[in-house]
Amino acid sequence: MDWAGWAVFGLAATAALTSVLIAAQLAGWTRLDLPLLLGTLVVEDPDHARAVGFLLHLGAGQVFALLYALGFAVLGHATWWLGALFGCLHGGVALTAIIPLFAGVHPRIGSLRAGLESRAVLEPPGLLALNYGYQTPLVAAIAHVLYGAVLGLLLEVG
Amino acid sequence: MNGTPPRIGDYALLGDTRSAALVSPDGDIDWWCLPRFDSSPVCGRLLGGPAAGHLSLGPAEPATLVDRGYLPGTPLLRTRWQSAGGRLTSTEGMVSELRGRLLPSTLLVRRIQADDHAVQVRWALTPRHGWTRDRLLRREHGQAIVFTGGPLALSVHPSRVLSTDRAEDGVVTLAPGQHLTVAISAVSGEPLVHVPPDRAWQLLLEDAARWRQWTSRIPSDLPFAAAAGRSALVLRLLTHSPTGAPVAAVTTSLPEVVGGERNWDYRYTWPRDASIGVAAFVGLGMTQEARMFLRWLLHASRLDRPRLPVLLTLDGRHAPPERRVEGWPGYRGSTPVRTGNGARRQHQLDGYGWVVDAAHVFDSGCAPIDGETWRAVAGFADFAAERWDQPDAGIWEERGEARHHTHSTLMAWLTVDRALRLARAHRASPRRVRRWESARDAIGLAVRDRAFDQASSSYTRTWGGHDLDAAVLMLPLIGIEPTDSPRLRSTIDAVQERLSAGGPLLYRYTPETDGLPGREGAFLPCSFWLVQALAVTGRADQAVDLMHQLLDLSPLGLFSEEVDPTTGDMLGNYPQALTHAALLQAVLALRDAGVSSS
Repeated sequence: MDWAGWAVFGLAATAALTSVLIAAQLAGWTRLDLPLLLGTLVVEDPDHARAVGFLLHLGAGQVFALLYALGFAVLGHATWWLGALFGCLHGGVALTAIIPLFAGVHPRIGSLRAGLESRAVLEPPGLLALNYGYQTPLVAAIAHVLYGAVLGLLLEVG
Repeated sequence: MNGTPPRIGDYALLGDTRSAALVSPDGDIDWWCLPRFDSSPVCGRLLGGPAAGHLSLGPAEPATLVDRGYLPGTPLLRTRWQSAGGRLTSTEGMVSELRGRLLPSTLLVRRIQADDHAVQVRWALTPRHGWTRDRLLRREHGQAIVFTGGPLALSVHPSRVLSTDRAEDGVVTLAPGQHLTVAISAVSGEPLVHVPPDRAWQLLLEDAARWRQWTSRIPSDLPFAAAAGRSALVLRLLTHSPTGAPVAAVTTSLPEVVGGERNWDYRYTWPRDASIGVAAFVGLGMTQEARMFLRWLLHASRLDRPRLPVLLTLDGRHAPPERRVEGWPGYRGSTPVRTGNGARRQHQLDGYGWVVDAAHVFDSGCAPIDGETWRAVAGFADFAAERWDQPDAGIWEERGEARHHTHSTLMAWLTVDRALRLARAHRASPRRVRRWESARDAIGLAVRDRAFDQASSSYTRTWGGHDLDAAVLMLPLIGIEPTDSPRLRSTIDAVQERLSAGGPLLYRYTPETDGLPGREGAFLPCSFWLVQALAVTGRADQAVDLMHQLLDLSPLGLFSEEVDPTTGDMLGNYPQALTHAALLQAVLALRDAGVSSS
C-alpha cells in the first residue's frame, strides 16, 4: 500500500476534481457546488460554508482515494485508464446514489416531501442532479474520471 | 357540472405546498396536477371537458349553497348545502406536513356529513392520465380503489364501500349525523402508502392546527387583517416547499378573454413574483418565508447571471417551449390550451429592479444579505447600468417589437439605486460605485425628459408616447421623485381616470393596443398598486374605499390576474401569486399610512 502516495496524490486528485467543478460553474454549465453542499451541513452562510465544505471535501476525497488504492492493490496494477474507469463508476454512483441519499439527510436541502414547516433553503438535486443544470451529469463524469486518472497515474502498487 | 364549468372565481383552492386542486361549488375537483404544480393533470375537466377527469363528492339532489369558505387560519374548505332531503356539510383539505412519517407525498382528505336528515351523496372517480386523457388502470385493494398509470399511483380509500360493480360514479345515502370520509393518496415513482380514512382525517386536523399556528404569526393589527391573512396563506400554498419556488398560479390556460386565445401557462416561477413575495413576507415579519424566496432566486438565476431569466421552472431550469395541447376544448371554449411559456426568451429589464429591491428590503428589514447574494445583486446592477437604454418586452411581456418602456426604465433606476444603498454596507470598488451613480443620474434624467407627457401631465407607457401604463403606479414606491411631487400625483390621477374599467378596476394599458385579438379584462394587481400609491401619497381614505370594493370581488378571498369589468367574474389563471402579493403590499402600505385594523 502506497500510503505516502495516497496522502499526497489523494489531495491532488480532489483538487483536480474541484477545479473542474469550479470551472464548470464559472462557465455557467452547472450549479453543482460540492463544497457548498458539504459546508451547509454545519454552517448556513454560503461563503463560510464553502470554506468549511472545501475541507470536508478534501477529507471525503481522501476516503475515496483509499478505496481507489485498495482497488488498484487488489487488481495488482494502477494505470491512468484503470483509474479513469474507476472514476466513471464513482461518478455514476455519486449521481445516482450518493448525492440523492446525501440530500435526503441534509438539513438545509429541500426534500421532495417538504411541507409547511420546511426550513430548507437549498434546492434538491433531483434525478442525476439535473436540477443543477442539464450539463451536470457530464461535468460530474468528467471531474470524477479526472480524479480517477490522476490517482491511477500517480499511485504505486506493490 | 352540466357541460359548462363554473365561473373561475367560484373555484376553491386546496393545497399542500407541493400540488393544488380546484374544487367547484358542487364538490367537483376539476383541476389537479400531480405530483406537483407543473405536472400534467389527473383531473383536467376544467380545460379538457368530461374526458379529462374529475373527482366528485357532493349533493346528489338539487341543492343550494348555504355557505362556503375556509376555516379561519387554515386552508381547510367548508361547504354547506341545503337540498330537499336535508343539509350536507363538507370539509376538505390536503395534508402538507409529512416529515418523519410514512405517508404518501400527496394526501387529500374529504369528509361529507348529513347534518339533520338522511341525504343522498353523489360521488365520481374518473382520474385520467395527464394530457392524453387516457384511463388509468383500476384495481380494488380492500375497500380502496387504486388507479395506476406510468409512475403515478392514486388510491381512493372511502370509509364505506362506494360501489361493488367497478362503477365510476354513483350515489350513497347518509343517515342523519353519518359521514363519509374519503382519503385520496397519490405518489409518483415510489410505492403507494395506503392511509385509512379515519387516520387521514386526524392527520388533516393536525395539519390544520399547524396552519393556525403559522397564520398566528401574521400581525393581528393589520388593516384588512382577514384578507391579508388569506393572501399570505395563499402565497404559502403557492410556494413549492421542496424548492422554495413560488408558482405564479396553479393553472394553465384559464382565459384572459373567455372564448379567446389569451391563454397562457402560469405554472412556472417569475423572479418578479418571487421578489414581490420577499417584500410582502418581510413586511409581515415572516423572515423564513422571505429567505426561502430569496435563496430560490439566487440558486435559480446562477447559471444565467448577470442575465435574469424572465421565468423558470420550479427546479430553476429554463421553462419549456410553448406548445398547444391538441383536442382540449379549453375553459368555456377558450382555445388553445397551452403548456410551456413563450415569454421565456424575452428580455425584460424590470425583473432586475424587483430582485435587487427584494434583496434591499430583506437586508434592511430582516438580516444582512450574505456575500453571495451581494455578488449577484452587484452583477444585476452592472447589467442594468449598462443596458438601461435598450428596448425590452416590458412587464406585460409584449410579443411584438421591443420598445423603451417607462416602467422598465424606472425599474433600472431602482436596480442601481438599491445596489448603491446596499453598497454602503457591502464591499464595492469606488469605480463600480461611480459607474452606478452615473447610471442612476442618467436614467433619472431620461425618465424625466423622455417619459413624461406634458399634455396629459403623466408619465407614459413608452418614451415619447402618449399612452398610459398602470405599471407606473410603482412610482411613489421607488423614490425617484418625492411622494408630494405634482408630476407623480398627476400621473396617479391620470392612470385612475384614463385606464379606469369602472369602480376600483383598472386596465393595465389602453385596451386593444397589444396586438392580440379580443379585449382583456381589468388587471387586478394594478388596482392593488393604485391602493398602495394612494396610501403612500397621503390619500388613505380613498385607498381604503377602493380596498373594500376590491375585496368584495371574492367571497373566498382568492384572486386571479384579471376581472371582467362588466360581470365581475375572475379571468385568467387562478389563484394568482402576483395579485395576492400586491394585495399584501397594499395592506402594508395602508398600515404604514396609519390605517388601523378597525
